Amino acid sequence: MQIILDHVTHTYQPGSPFQATAIRDVSLEIRPGEFLALIGHTGSGKSTLAQHINGLLKPTEGRVLLDGQDIHEKGFNKKEVRRAVGLVFQYPEHQLFEESVEKDVAFGPKNLGLSEAEIKERVREALEKVGLSDQSIAEKSPFELSGGQMRRVAVAGVLAMRPEILVLDEPAAGLDPQSREDMLQLISELHRQGNTVVMISHSMDDVARFATRAVVMEKGGIAMEGAPEEIFRHAERLEKMGLDVPSVCKLGMLLREKGLAFPPDIFREDQAYDALTALWKGGKAHGAE
Amino acid sequence: MALSNITLGQYYPADSAVHKLDPRVKIVLLIAVIVAIFLARNLLAFLPVIAFLALAARLSKVPVKLMLKGLKPLRFILILTFVLNLFFLQGETPLLDLGFAVIKKESLITAVHYSLRLILLVLASSLLTLTTAPVTLTDGLERLLSPLRVIHFPAHELAMMMTIALRFIPTLLEEADKIMKAQTARGADFESGNLIARAKAMVPLLVPLFVSAFRRAGDLAMAMEARCYHGGEGRTRLRVLRCEKRDYYACAAVALLIICVVLCGKIY
Repeated sequence: MQIILDHVTHTYQPGSPFQATAIRDVSLEIRPGEFLALIGHTGSGKSTLAQHINGLLKPTEGRVLLDGQDIHEKGFNKKEVRRAVGLVFQYPEHQLFEESVEKDVAFGPKNLGLSEAEIKERVREALEKVGLSDQSIAEKSPFELSGGQMRRVAVAGVLAMRPEILVLDEPAAGLDPQSREDMLQLISELHRQGNTVVMISHSMDDVARFATRAVVMEKGGIAMEGAPEEIFRHAERLEKMGLDVPSVCKLGMLLREKGLAFPPDIFREDQAYDALTALWKGGKAHGAE
Repeated sequence: MALSNITLGQYYPADSAVHKLDPRVKIVLLIAVIVAIFLARNLLAFLPVIAFLALAARLSKVPVKLMLKGLKPLRFILILTFVLNLFFLQGETPLLDLGFAVIKKESLITAVHYSLRLILLVLASSLLTLTTAPVTLTDGLERLLSPLRVIHFPAHELAMMMTIALRFIPTLLEEADKIMKAQTARGADFESGNLIARAKAMVPLLVPLFVSAFRRAGDLAMAMEARCYHGGEGRTRLRVLRCEKRDYYACAAVALLIICVVLCGKIY
């Protein structure tokens, strides 16, 4: 399953005094199996872009292609895209509405018109994936759960549709550290199982840790694109855009300022650990001389 | 999405004399203009009203297109008023024989009169809402109603409630749009099916919307209390409303309008 955005422009409320172009002439291919991170300042058009991937927004100009077919062409069944691309909005727990967790997760599959047994199976599977397989939770009202659990139920609601491409808009925002880590592990696990993941994130540490490719957006256009290592090499440019770099990068910069030989292209914690160990061992050897 | 083109509180920001008028004056003058419209006894008497509104619209710098847009939701009522008056009113002078009905001169005049009255009423009111920010409007309303406090009329509380409601309309619309999108992403369908199916489809939208509205209300109440809000007693304001020269000019213009309307009614 492959999605291509072809010169997509989106203008909100065109023709009114509140007209605003959120994304301008964006072309992007979402490759099967990748973990794509969308980075950008608030208002750079990330969320608008994400909503084009499953056809929620219609481009003002340009096309969105699912396996080569224009999804906004007449006669194209939108449910096809909705099934293939699962979109998890920011603070998805705000969209829970059913009287029980089970029923809420079943909402998506039900809309797909699946059989009772199939729905049941999918709900069980989705809840298990997000780590809420306990039957007592499944029967609870979603409004009785903790914030982190509610978020997971909401994600399960999308997973139950078995999407091949999963688009997540800041899935870890506003969670406590433990729930945050759980959520990221869950997404990483889904990616390992073969799902294509597109994640909007403000945390460069998460991008460095998980993404296989990153796209930096600025003022509605794509400013940079490439592997995270390539992107983070341009720390200054990112900072000029008001964006952060991974904390390991910052640590590296500080260490290099102090004259230590910390390699410049290290972005992840595990790499940093190795580099620091090497530095420390080298330093010790040096001091023993 | 369908919700994005609803514009409640159709304020059109611009720098004009009409915008700068004291909201209290504007509200009172709107009532006066409405009275003038009802005083107009014949078509001729509408002329000064039309001239006045045209002048005011021109001064306000609001695009004509935007002003006329306010009439769009009323088009069915307008057509209905016109047609009903045209065909069912008693008249003496036949004007046109359509075969199934005869159009009389008197009924034509009345039909035009009523439709025109409706149009002018809507235009006059939208001129107020187009040139006054909703919050300013409630501010003016509060001051106008404040003498009623003597009879324990909660003017301040009412204005505060209206301000809060107005403030949260865009927020809730945005929220509704977001939830609608989220449920659409899960395959929900808000746009097809019969009436019952559509009403049922609203549940996944309305429940989260209510939950969030209550949550917001709770947060807001807490935030207001944290800043020692305790009602209108002894509260001072950031922007004190003051009548200026242009407000008196506007009053004079409307007084003149009423005189013209009455005179036109008499002459004809």
